[in-house]
Amino acid sequence: MTLKKLKATDRMKQIMGGYYMMGKQTEVNGWITSGAPVELLYAMDIYPVYPENHGALIGAAKQGPYFSDFAEKRGFSRDLCSYARCDIGCVFAGTSPVGGLPKPDFLFACNNICNTVIKWYQVLSRIFKVPLFILDTPFVRKELKESYIQYVHDQLYEFVDFLEKTTGRELSDSKLKETLIKSIEGVNSYSDVLHMAKNKPSPLTCFDAFLNMAPIVCLRGTDYPIEFYAEMKKELVERVKRGEGAVENEEVRLLWDNIPVWYRLRWFAEFFADRNACLVADTYTNAWTGFISMDKSDIFWSMAETYTFIYLNIGLEHMAEAINRLINYYDVDGVVIHSNRSCKPYSFGQYELQKMIDVPSVVIEADMVDSRVFSEAQVETRLEAFLEMLK
Amino acid sequence: MNIGYLCTYTPKELIDAAGFTPVRIFAGDDQISLATAYIQSYACSQARGSFERALKGELDVQAVVFTRCCDTLMRLADIWERNTDMKVYNLEFPSRIDEESKDYYFRELQDFVNILKEWGGDVTVDSLRESLKLYWELEEKLKKLFEVKPDYEAAKKVQEMNVRDAIEFVDRRLRKVEKSGVGPKVLITGSVCPFLEVYKLFEEAGLLLKDDICTGTRFFTYNTPLKEIESVEDGLRFLVEKYFNKAPCPTKHFPNDDRFNYILELAKDCDGVVFLLLKFCEPHFYDYPQLKEKLEEMGKKVLLLELEFPIASYEQLRTRIEAFYEVIA
Repeated sequence: MTLKKLKATDRMKQIMGGYYMMGKQTEVNGWITSGAPVELLYAMDIYPVYPENHGALIGAAKQGPYFSDFAEKRGFSRDLCSYARCDIGCVFAGTSPVGGLPKPDFLFACNNICNTVIKWYQVLSRIFKVPLFILDTPFVRKELKESYIQYVHDQLYEFVDFLEKTTGRELSDSKLKETLIKSIEGVNSYSDVLHMAKNKPSPLTCFDAFLNMAPIVCLRGTDYPIEFYAEMKKELVERVKRGEGAVENEEVRLLWDNIPVWYRLRWFAEFFADRNACLVADTYTNAWTGFISMDKSDIFWSMAETYTFIYLNIGLEHMAEAINRLINYYDVDGVVIHSNRSCKPYSFGQYELQKMIDVPSVVIEADMVDSRVFSEAQVETRLEAFLEMLK
Repeated sequence: MNIGYLCTYTPKELIDAAGFTPVRIFAGDDQISLATAYIQSYACSQARGSFERALKGELDVQAVVFTRCCDTLMRLADIWERNTDMKVYNLEFPSRIDEESKDYYFRELQDFVNILKEWGGDVTVDSLRESLKLYWELEEKLKKLFEVKPDYEAAKKVQEMNVRDAIEFVDRRLRKVEKSGVGPKVLITGSVCPFLEVYKLFEEAGLLLKDDICTGTRFFTYNTPLKEIESVEDGLRFLVEKYFNKAPCPTKHFPNDDRFNYILELAKDCDGVVFLLLKFCEPHFYDYPQLKEKLEEMGKKVLLLELEFPIASYEQLRTRIEAFYEVIA
């Protein structure tokens, strides 16, 4: 079966090609983690470099083991996160599928996605000998306490000082407001795209969402995501009008949990399409859809709230609630859970989540970038049995 | 009531001051089987092994405090709460240790005092004063004991006792202890290692030990002299200082690479350094390559031993340690 391609994906490639090109020409850049408040950088015309996106790109190019090997040879264990291994490996290799990332002027890690990024960025700061700022977000296992928000809020101010000192630039209030508004518009425009999967049949799969998520991660706060996702939505609306699904004869609707298996994206997409199963949504791309509040009187407080209560930084009860919301909204029949060796905070607790969610689920063992741990036969058998059971 | 904990950043003084006994939880000797249904095999065996003991009903603890350190323990709190009868609380120790995070940690301690109250334990200025003094005493005595000769059995045992019994226990050991002999000295560095046979292997190979292990000297190295307190708040402020200045752990971020400098300083009078790392322990494994490089620049020989609990083959470890002895002797 041939997969249906979205025209938007070509446009996305152009935009991201431009984004990577821009990185080679900018005056000041900072390396930043995927869950960090990038708006502060864009508001100061600082170019954000995303090592995680770079890792995903290496995975999709099926070069994970090749670049990871450069880090492993230097003593970095194969049990470490494969994004980190590839990224550090590229630094040692001096290149990558996009010719390497520009050398950073500073590093900015926010541990709302994992504590791994603290260690990873410490390694980078010793290699590049540039300042590192850690934005420490307390884990919200139960309640989002005011003391947590206060702590993050104060660090945001401190981070602005750090940026001003490191770059010699000044943050203007109006520019920050403007950036935040764009960020929210981008997030809304992106959410609209994901929400299209509510239609039956769904005009997109989570694989389309994965392929096209880079702009909301890397360019959030600029005009690009606002326009790009609006365009993508138009294409999806056309599909819906024609009654055309992303998967021919959609019989089963599924939800994907965890980061994609980048080097097998196409394999998975075909596997499910061949069996009339559509992965309509996922917990990964949906992590970029929520601004929990936007109180204009104190935007730093709003940012602190939003960036602390992020999907990977909350307890299992909150996560189960979020998954059940997706199950309900997208009318999902079952959940495919990727137990990802590289991502402990995303994967530990999945066995509990299975008991807490409203539909049946299956766990497959893999890794987001390191194809050496992928066992096709094992994954195939588990998924076959699961789909059989659902039908 | 006994309150279990896994991380040395847990303020045991508050637990004791509330009238409870803090008890450190270690992985056990049995193969891990029950826990595999609750957490993946790529979680470290300290996490899986500790939870295994909880599931088997081997732990005499009624509540567990998870102090924020690594991603695995962060998630284990929920898994633990959902599958045991124990009360579970997560104390969010900051991941960045500097002036800016002190007030926040102070508020976390205040919240913890309230939780202890909910659990039926009252922290008063008198009880806190006493607990601070007792722990200081225990820590000083352990330091003295280790200066004469490292005693990993004592270090492990006192972590499972009431602090009063622990002091008496260390006193008895101090009366009996004899200075170690002569031989090459190694620094062992890593997370936890409650398997005492491992330390014996080093001694039997003829090596003198110094350590940076979470169940060894990191348990009692605090660097903050005891201070008189006038109120509970005073005591909490003291605890902030005490825990911020303790022997640094790689799960935290320190402003000036304090953790690396601490290890390099410890290694100065040692002939070699052994990384005793638990498989899947991210915080330590990220540090390993660059730390190793710095140690080698200092002229130190370095060995990496990767462990999984329970330890499958002591003989294999023995061979490697003996070979290392040959290299540095």
